[in-house]
Amino acid sequence: MTVKILTVDDSKTIRMIVKKAFKAFDCKLSEAENGVEGLAAAAKEKPDLIVLDITMPVMNGIEMLEKLKGEPDLQDIPVIMLTAESGKDSVMQIVKMGVKDYMVKPFKGEQLIERAEKVVQLEAKKAEEVAADASKQYFSLEDDVQVMTMPVKINRQVNTQVEGFLKTKLQDIVKSGISKLILNLSKAEETNMSLIKVIVQVLQACKKASLNIQIVGTEALSEGLKGFAETSEIKIAFSLDEAKSAF
Amino acid sequence: MSELNGIDLKNCLLNAIVDVFDTMLSMEVEAGESNPEEITDSRIVGTVGFAGKVMGCVSLHVGDAFAENITAAMLGMEPDEIESDEEIYDVIGELSNMLGGDLKSRLCDAGFDCQLSIPSTTSGSNFKIESKGWMEQERIGFTSGNDKGLAEIFIKTGD
Repeated sequence: MTVKILTVDDSKTIRMIVKKAFKAFDCKLSEAENGVEGLAAAAKEKPDLIVLDITMPVMNGIEMLEKLKGEPDLQDIPVIMLTAESGKDSVMQIVKMGVKDYMVKPFKGEQLIERAEKVVQLEAKKAEEVAADASKQYFSLEDDVQVMTMPVKINRQVNTQVEGFLKTKLQDIVKSGISKLILNLSKAEETNMSLIKVIVQVLQACKKASLNIQIVGTEALSEGLKGFAETSEIKIAFSLDEAKSAF
Repeated sequence: MSELNGIDLKNCLLNAIVDVFDTMLSMEVEAGESNPEEITDSRIVGTVGFAGKVMGCVSLHVGDAFAENITAAMLGMEPDEIESDEEIYDVIGELSNMLGGDLKSRLCDAGFDCQLSIPSTTSGSNFKIESKGWMEQERIGFTSGNDKGLAEIFIKTGD
């Protein structure tokens, strides 16, 4: 069952870290920037868990918690407090207010998951769902062309990630009626073996999926690829427009 | 001044920096010069104030390039994936909040109850932050790889 989690924090950074921590689990995350928005979101979403910051503008986490505990419909929602303060008095105040647990910043995502698992039952997403989520950061649609943009650094980790989603993603692209893909390597700053592997993987997968492919990169990349047997013959376009017109 | 002598502010600040950078950014930090010069290049300063039985502020100063590396590490992305300066300001503000939170906790545990402010950030070049009338002031430099930063704390007891 999908677990609904509400993060209330004025820092976008912390909200992103919390979101990332729960990414591997079957969760629906919602966000609020302060206590007022948090109460409204709690009433609307009825979350299974609230991750609540203390120091926030407009209404802080302590006030929000007091109001939450005063609402019959919301008082039983478990709350994990996030605080930058580990002092005895702060901790005692939080504990007395009936929170399920608290975390002192700095914290790692895994630590938050450990605490959350004591309160709600988290189910890991299936491998295919994780792969599909991972692929989102690489793909964008431009007109009738799918663009797969690789990051600045292409390492083994990126390689493994691409390997995990490539086949399924390309099948989905074909099913959606798209027949052109551009592999955009213009950000890649180093021509290394991981990059070569990605290029070979994508070329082979496109061939199997009957997708037309063009590769975009810099002049330096084009020169660098000539030094590898696997990529020495590959033609590189120097802009997306050039690649599009080459189809 | 003697009232705060039991707290080694410099050491507390350095330990907090090492802990925050390690936990949130997986970055190793080493203590740099003991009394470093201001960073004069374009930089971002995150500041958190505290007020109560003690008053003061904690500031974290990092150059623009270091701030980008920190933001990328915190958000698990590449520096060129940072969408706006707002993300960088938020991250630096949040880090200074964590440093301030750590120090505030130590002060409270030592009997100096105080409240922490919401973090603020300042950016630019060729500016100097001067605070006067403080009982104690500590400034420490730190390095992470080739990047340099500095942290400052100003403190005095409340009236």
